[in-house]
Amino acid sequence: MAASKTVGDVLRANGVSRRGFMKFCAATASMMALPPTMVSAVAAAIENARRPSVIWLPFQECTGCLESLTRSHTPTVEGLIFDAISLDFNHTLMAASGQRAEDALDAAVQENWGNYLMLVDGSIPTGEFADYSCTNGHSHLDMLKKYAAGAAAIVTIGTCAAYGGIGRANPNPTQAVGVQDIIKDKPIINVPGCPPIPTVITGVLAHYLTFGTIPELDHHGRPMAFFGQNIHDRCYRRPFYERGLFAKTFDDEGARKGHCLYQLGCKGPVTYNACATLKWNNGVSWPVQSGHGCIGCSEPNFWDKGSFYRPLSAAYYGDARTVGISVAAGAAAGLAAAALARGKQKKAQQEEKA
Amino acid sequence: MNEGLYFEGMSLLDFARGPAFRWAVAIFIIGIVWRLTALLLVSPKRLEPVKGSATSGGVRTMLTRSAPAHELEKNIIFQHYSGYAWHISMFIVLLFFAPHMMFFKQILGFGWPTLPNLFITFFAVVTMGILLVLLARRLMNPVLRQISTMDDYVSWIIAFLPFLTGIMSFTHITFGMQYETVLALHILSICLLLVWFPFGKLMHALFIWPSRYKVGAAFARRGVRA
Amino acid sequence: MSATTIDYGTLGERAAAGLKPKALSDEQRIARAKEAFLAGIDADMATYLESCIHCGMCAEACHFYISTGDAKYTPIYKLEPLKKVYRRELAPTRWLNRLTTRDITVAELQDWKELAYDSCTQCGRCSLLCPMGIHIQSMIQVVRNGIAAAGLAPAELQAVSDEQRDKATIFGAGPDKLREVAERVRAKGIEVPLDKDKAEVLVLSSALDFLKDDALLAATAKIMNKLGANWTIRSDGFESANFGALAGDVQAQRRISKRVIDAAIAIGAKKVIVAECGHAYPVLRWEAATLYGKELPFEFLSVAEYLGQEVKAGRLKLKKAGNGASHVTFHDPCKLGRMGGSFDDARNVLSALGVKLTEMESHGRTNLCCGGGGGVAMLKGAQGLRQKAFELKREEVERTGAPTVVTACNTCMQTLETGKAWLNWDKDIVNLVQLVSDNLA
Repeated sequence: MAASKTVGDVLRANGVSRRGFMKFCAATASMMALPPTMVSAVAAAIENARRPSVIWLPFQECTGCLESLTRSHTPTVEGLIFDAISLDFNHTLMAASGQRAEDALDAAVQENWGNYLMLVDGSIPTGEFADYSCTNGHSHLDMLKKYAAGAAAIVTIGTCAAYGGIGRANPNPTQAVGVQDIIKDKPIINVPGCPPIPTVITGVLAHYLTFGTIPELDHHGRPMAFFGQNIHDRCYRRPFYERGLFAKTFDDEGARKGHCLYQLGCKGPVTYNACATLKWNNGVSWPVQSGHGCIGCSEPNFWDKGSFYRPLSAAYYGDARTVGISVAAGAAAGLAAAALARGKQKKAQQEEKA
Repeated sequence: MNEGLYFEGMSLLDFARGPAFRWAVAIFIIGIVWRLTALLLVSPKRLEPVKGSATSGGVRTMLTRSAPAHELEKNIIFQHYSGYAWHISMFIVLLFFAPHMMFFKQILGFGWPTLPNLFITFFAVVTMGILLVLLARRLMNPVLRQISTMDDYVSWIIAFLPFLTGIMSFTHITFGMQYETVLALHILSICLLLVWFPFGKLMHALFIWPSRYKVGAAFARRGVRA
Repeated sequence: MSATTIDYGTLGERAAAGLKPKALSDEQRIARAKEAFLAGIDADMATYLESCIHCGMCAEACHFYISTGDAKYTPIYKLEPLKKVYRRELAPTRWLNRLTTRDITVAELQDWKELAYDSCTQCGRCSLLCPMGIHIQSMIQVVRNGIAAAGLAPAELQAVSDEQRDKATIFGAGPDKLREVAERVRAKGIEVPLDKDKAEVLVLSSALDFLKDDALLAATAKIMNKLGANWTIRSDGFESANFGALAGDVQAQRRISKRVIDAAIAIGAKKVIVAECGHAYPVLRWEAATLYGKELPFEFLSVAEYLGQEVKAGRLKLKKAGNGASHVTFHDPCKLGRMGGSFDDARNVLSALGVKLTEMESHGRTNLCCGGGGGVAMLKGAQGLRQKAFELKREEVERTGAPTVVTACNTCMQTLETGKAWLNWDKDIVNLVQLVSDNLA
């Protein structure tokens, strides 16, 4: 755990040229919407940054977020940055296992108490179901509270850790929640997505490394730099939406021509993420480009917003049974009112004749 | 009723699209059926011989009343055409904006072709403009001031809000509010419209048909085209 | 062919002076008005009363509004008390309505006297324009019924209604007057078969016709004789006018209509010819049988209808009309035309008379009311209003360029004559019966 080494030391040791490093800093600065004049500040900050201690705690998760992040065919600078930070605990990635892994965690936490960055993925079961997700006999709920107490900040990786995700989806059998529902006294940066885009994660970390501060967050705790705009506004198929050209099935002419996927359930208009600009797999593609509507995976409770294939504006009016009951109720009330009124009329007519 | 839209931590938008809308539809249907039973009051049988077919006169008038004779119409030209312009523009926006068409498709089971958003924007602006002009007219014209009631103004507001919130949503001109909130308000304004519809003058959309039929039939019985 | 104008206003004043007003408390008045409204509203009217969208277009069809610009004459507004009682007592959502709709008051009923009587001739033009298809005209009568039941009908009309109901006379003129006028007509050499036991055609007249002279009876008799019809006029059932209807007194209206029906049935008539009178036709043709309670074994025809039918059948032969009646315009009486269905009959007659007819812009079913019908002529207080309304008629007549106005209703004729006097107008006013009678071939 060479915590005294700087990030710059590590990069040089790995053969990253100055030029390559500056390119990365320029790209990172650009991603964070910083002006070019800031690039050298970013470079200086990263180069000289002490490798901060980072612990990664996986809870009730599918490991998809970690997969997304670490899947790389060739070593990337992002990957090296991860090596550059002192990832002191990640039980999937680290070599140690079992009690030795737990001891490593406790050692890192004690050594860096109050200064380490805590990354979390997976939801946290609560209440009577808290024990349904445990590591080494400790419930994840207890672990979260214990290790959050000494963290400088918490970054939730993925929608599960941020908002509860699929664990929380109706009927939420484990009473699962996100980190922000439990921890109220620490800064939390939510990086949702199912999974999040890799570059978004590293961009957030780069910000933290550079400035030592939490980036500007939206009302859901997400960095504005990556989650400040909705998919619909950045979607390359938007002109077709405006012109009224839609795919109506997944293999019709509209689909083949790459028309708007609104009618196939795309949730782009109410989803905030960077998929439309940064894309996935190093910018190869993203769901809409591949012909499938956005499912809104960076939004809270996106599993419970109805079918992924149901258009955003489709009406939840009830069902035929409810309509039938309403008609019957209206008829009953109305006929009763009419009968009473007719009685009044007849009475008045008789009195008039008298 | 649920279809998976009930969950803890429901947002305003989820509430608007889910329980709020369902209840609004239920009240809408109950109210309309109830109020239409007004047609069932006592009707004495008339014993005089007729001069013409009531049924054909009634059906005819349901359509022809939209185009009154020139000498009758000449004093109301502005009202007559602004009425057309408002209703036509309103229906264009309501029915031919793609997300709206998808809304109805879910209920009816079938959809139809839609118009590009540019046209919809135009007609939405026309609709709102006419509404504002007609409100000003209602406030200033002596005849309208004589006969207007709270219903007229409430119905105006309730008809205006969906367009206002719709335009705000569409253009993202939200005056600092979050987009999803404005979208939720748009849907809630529709819920409000549905709930108010059976009890105010918006019911004219339905009453116009039996009413025109009856006046057409009454005049046809006397041998007169109404 | 002008005649002296009758001062209905003064006649009305005199009648009103003799009225014994009913002593009713305010509660009783309201209760009776509501009862009349509740009894009079049927399913059609309920539909209409639910349908008003307060667009105000009806105002632009009403001659009283157009000529004065006074918003209170908006036709739908004339129904306000009826609307309120409907909303509070009969409407499906009445329990909610009671929160927003106030109850009617005696003061309101008194205010509405002007709107239901003075400023409404029940001409029906508003019913043609309303975009919602509200038959406003059909409901004015119910408003009158309520006001009359509350004892608040205009004294002029109530007085004559009471007289006609109880004594079968109008302004003191009844069977005796008929006999007197019949004698005068006979003296001119025209046969008047009075009080026959059996006849195919029962001809009606009116005490209002006799106020002037015997010309109308003479002209009618001459035509009937020429046609060789088997006709009579009955002293126990000759009166076309129905002041019960005009006042809004339903019981009186029923009793008065019954006299004509009884007489027609007694003589086995197949046709009853209603004299040239406005309200008489719809009251008999469209309401009498329902009030009587049975279908009638004869048909009611207006004089114009009868003449038109006879001309069309070739039984009535006419000369070409001359004497200043060569270029005419025809004023459709509202109650015979728009509310009666007879437009072509009079025009067929005019065609047979060979006159050149120039139509007014509003003619046939869209004609403008002369302003005199519905008993308005009797209300002196309404005279200013009628004068203003008449301007519209005058303008339309002027634009035809015709020097003569032909009409088929005595009330219209009287109104036109009165208007002529107000305006120092140079037009000739002629009624159809007279024109036909003068030009029998």
